[in-house]
Amino acid sequence: MSTRTPDRRTDATSSRREHTRSSGPSRWSHCRKRGVDGSMRTDEHERTDEHERTEGRHSSFTTPESSGPVSRCAASSDWGSQVEDNEMRRDLHRDLQRYRRRILAADGPHRERKASSGSSGSCDSKEEESLETDEGVLLRRQKQISYGKNTLAYDRYIREVPKHLRQPGIHPKTPNKFRKYSRRSWDQQIKLWRVKLHAWDPPTDNGTQEDNEEQLDLGDIMDIELDFPTLAEPGPQAAHAGVMEDPEGTGTPVKVQRMDAAAASDVV
Amino acid sequence: MENSTDEYRFQSFDPDTQMLLKTALKDPSSVDLEKVSNIIVDQSLKDQVFSKEAGRICYTIVQAEAKQSDGNVFRRNLLNRLQREFKDREDMRARSIHEWVCYVTFICNIFDYLKVNNMPMVALVHPVYDCMMRLAQPDALKNEEEVDCLVLQLHRIGEQLEKANSQRMDQLFFLLRDGFLLQEGLTSMTRLLLLEILEFRAGGWMLSSTANKYYYSEISD
Repeated sequence: MSTRTPDRRTDATSSRREHTRSSGPSRWSHCRKRGVDGSMRTDEHERTDEHERTEGRHSSFTTPESSGPVSRCAASSDWGSQVEDNEMRRDLHRDLQRYRRRILAADGPHRERKASSGSSGSCDSKEEESLETDEGVLLRRQKQISYGKNTLAYDRYIREVPKHLRQPGIHPKTPNKFRKYSRRSWDQQIKLWRVKLHAWDPPTDNGTQEDNEEQLDLGDIMDIELDFPTLAEPGPQAAHAGVMEDPEGTGTPVKVQRMDAAAASDVV
Repeated sequence: MENSTDEYRFQSFDPDTQMLLKTALKDPSSVDLEKVSNIIVDQSLKDQVFSKEAGRICYTIVQAEAKQSDGNVFRRNLLNRLQREFKDREDMRARSIHEWVCYVTFICNIFDYLKVNNMPMVALVHPVYDCMMRLAQPDALKNEEEVDCLVLQLHRIGEQLEKANSQRMDQLFFLLRDGFLLQEGLTSMTRLLLLEILEFRAGGWMLSSTANKYYYSEISD
């Protein structure tokens, strides 16, 4: 049964991979800070590229940009994906309501104390303000969480360690998708969470965890691919988004291209 | 909930396929769900009786898969196959009215049974309306088979459809009124069916008791 994890993950990831590959290497070029000639790309460039990218994006592209639900709906034209997305959106709204209620309930006692001391702010409104409610962001986060939960490691983990026995720091905890985090911070949390979950990977036949390291790399690669389309996000995140998690990812291809261009001209 | 697996009508399949389907109902992750969905669709396009049942079978498999492995493979395959057939529906209709009618019956059945969070799948609303509108076209109204299909489906899912999109239902009924009033050469059966569905909707998707008496009671003499 140890083959189950690759199968399930492959099901989810292979369709993603298929689609990222089908668009060719130039797909990622507009995520770089610099163009082929080395000059910094302006906002204008990014915006048109972002537009092009959303138009050309395959229907099952799984880490949607915060360009909003409209473009995503236009892109996913197959009924299967439409229904799944719809279902996920409804689940998200339901989860959001539940979460809100939980916060309000938790802050009940605090509120009374604050009122009596005469302070204007209340805990729950602060918590409310820092709630992530952007549907695009929530959908993306939920998909990332689903990937992590759709693994044998996660199955084994939740069976082995019931919630009330979990110790913070030692036991992985699913990142809270409703809290406000920067894109980078969130992606990092997801990565760490998935790395921690690997401790519960099923042992391989020869008893070592070698395969798990391989899976680890796969996980990292997946996460890095998730990083790429962050370029045009608004606000402070834009500054982070331009810088890749792996700085060599930006530098090397550009240099290689330059060298290739030079080599090509030599060949002529 | 409803009936046990024994009551699904699998007799039309060969024993191996019957086995496959029964397994799909109980242990979906152990079978090739894409294959299963194709088998079900293929049969639904041939056998109108089966296409009325198939929604229930599909619902059971979808639930079973979700519960067993949190998966959506069957549903996704089913829907995408339905979509492919939908794209070629005009050719299908030209090839075989019977197959076309089976397809409409099937997709409406799926719309009825496969709910998401107790609501019909939004993705199917427009396609179902497109099928209904096609059935309300003059060339279709000439075939009793198609009219019969149209009114039957409206009886079953009309109310839900209208809730999902009332504008299109209005448009559909403009066509039906026109057909009833203006189209020549309709059989009296067709006109009866059309009149009944007009009254049915006007009555809020049910017939008044007098109308019921008119259309459905045995003549006493």
